[in-house]
Amino acid sequence: MAPPWRIREVLNRAETGPLCLERDFDLRVLYPKIQEVIKEYDIRFDPENVVPTDGSLADDLWRAGLDLYLHTGTLCISTHRRILFDEGEIREPMSLFPEKLVVGTGNESREVYRRRIEDVRRPFCVFSPSLPFSEELFSAVEMAYAQEPLADGVGAGVLEELRGERVRAKSPTDVSAAAAHALMIREAARRVGRPGIYLADVQSALSDTAQISVSNPQWGVRTTDGRMVGTIAELKMDYGGLNRMVNFHNNGYIVMALFGPMVGGYGGGVEGTALVSVASHLQGLMVNQGHLDVFFPFHITHFCNTTRELLWLTSSVYQALSRNSPFLSLSNGIGAAGPCTKMVLYEAAAHGLVSTVSGGHLWEFFSARNRHKDRTTPVEARMACEVGFAAAKMRMKRECAREIANELLKKYEDKIKDAPLGKKFQECYNIKSITPTQEYMNLYRNVKKELIDLGIDFPY
Amino acid sequence: MSTGDLIRKLSQSVVEYDEEAAKKAAEEILRAGIDPLMAIEEGISPAARIVGEKFEKGEYFLPHLLLAAEAVKVASDILTAGLRMKDRLEMEAKGLGDVVIATVSGDIHDIGKNIVALLLSVNGFKIHDLGRDVESMAIVQRAIDVKADIIALSALMSTTLPSQREVIEILRAMGIRDRFIVMVGGGSTTKEWAEEINADGWAETAEKAVELAQSLIKGRR
Repeated sequence: MAPPWRIREVLNRAETGPLCLERDFDLRVLYPKIQEVIKEYDIRFDPENVVPTDGSLADDLWRAGLDLYLHTGTLCISTHRRILFDEGEIREPMSLFPEKLVVGTGNESREVYRRRIEDVRRPFCVFSPSLPFSEELFSAVEMAYAQEPLADGVGAGVLEELRGERVRAKSPTDVSAAAAHALMIREAARRVGRPGIYLADVQSALSDTAQISVSNPQWGVRTTDGRMVGTIAELKMDYGGLNRMVNFHNNGYIVMALFGPMVGGYGGGVEGTALVSVASHLQGLMVNQGHLDVFFPFHITHFCNTTRELLWLTSSVYQALSRNSPFLSLSNGIGAAGPCTKMVLYEAAAHGLVSTVSGGHLWEFFSARNRHKDRTTPVEARMACEVGFAAAKMRMKRECAREIANELLKKYEDKIKDAPLGKKFQECYNIKSITPTQEYMNLYRNVKKELIDLGIDFPY
Repeated sequence: MSTGDLIRKLSQSVVEYDEEAAKKAAEEILRAGIDPLMAIEEGISPAARIVGEKFEKGEYFLPHLLLAAEAVKVASDILTAGLRMKDRLEMEAKGLGDVVIATVSGDIHDIGKNIVALLLSVNGFKIHDLGRDVESMAIVQRAIDVKADIIALSALMSTTLPSQREVIEILRAMGIRDRFIVMVGGGSTTKEWAEEINADGWAETAEKAVELAQSLIKGRR
């Protein structure tokens, strides 16, 4: 089984690979190769076709992404060395990659399985806020997410303050916040009757020191929970990430490779960023050494992934992966609008739908561009995952998903730039009973009715 | 080739992010005896603005910004070397100022900072980019060394915000706070945060950061 895959060899290459300055990597290694392979494989974004059905596009995208990664490798910015692999080396861990992975424990253990295009099985769903919350709200927010019936796993917020003091990355407060975070999410899961649920990462811990400090199954992170190793955009890594990777594997954790390629960034436009996305999954296996991938492409100025371009990218990349790789990848949605707006529910529905029919699992849902404190709730994630569940259960085809996604886009795409901020968590939830407000539930039901009219057959 | 043609050629090379063409155009301008100061003001500066606008509209991507900045640098260096001392001093006096820019300690996310640095650079600021995850004292020390006008601090992750405050606190403790304009930005920052830590300005986007830097410098002079 892999990963881990020859960790010592990877670390050695981070010390001995070809020397390369970061600017040269971005401009002379990555970008020209992207242009070359886009041309060679004739990869083209089709705005009318947000859920493509052309298998050759998916296969070309896969091959082009593989060619790209074989050329660039990963730049280790701590050593300015490129970590390079040949195709045989990449094929080895791919061939040994498990068909499924068990996460969580007890009644809450779940299988994450290889998902196919138009798979009729329900996607694995992680519900996650991943935004800063005050210490007072933190546990309530975590309980709100963990109690969602469709949540197979749960992420958390970020503790911004601890006992009245601002948490500061790389300082002792970072380590203290990591411990508090680990304890509080376990307690929150138990309080909603789901003590074994998969707890996906300690997001409050920013430094590798703080992350490693909670590698203690007794009171900190259990080996049935997830640990994140992030990629630095695009296709880069540093010692901080490698330190985590080594520690997490040494302790037998489930490792998640995290990456968010940017449309408009170093990968260029949507086609180039799609190639970088495939390449990032390969890095996720070879360097981050992840069992799971968390994939959150976004637009460099819109900070969301519910635009027409990003939905096409998400669908194309998942189809490429599903047809050609064993990866277990979670599609992480980011909406432009904030909670308690119709728009955010349309965005969440579109993301959950397109990801599911294209072969992705779900990690939902960051609202208000993931930039505004307190502005996200489990209701948006519920919408994305209920739509994903429905699409799988009704055996939805990509053509049907494309039509529905187009209808949803008509409802919000002209508002992406000036999307409404919506409300804060504490305005959408009664924080004592930890239940959503009547106002938000009415809005939710109304949007669900619209989705039923568009052809989504919800099981409940 | 007429003066107008050569200036247009220079301008076009920047807009088309063509470093080699920019180098050639600048050399031809010097050989033709055209005033280098005029070439910078009428050739490079408007072209740089066009590049910024194209990025804002989504027509250009980050690599185009990086390449255009390289074209600007190579042409500016050639033309500046051809300036008479009097003109050079005049240009320096007209210059918008030196900016020390960094992503603060603990934060490795530097793309937002890179975009701001590039846009400031193509708009005439002299940039001292210290990179990502930079210790507060190193930022202050560099600002002192280069006699910076502006210190620009980026933070994406909320738990790295205290490092922005620390830079300002160090400046205050050293009794040199008034010597610098301090701008803050990044995904987790807000106007309220900037006010709380007594920064001089906050911008939500890279384009707004350029406008802010220009107006803060103007206000100071």
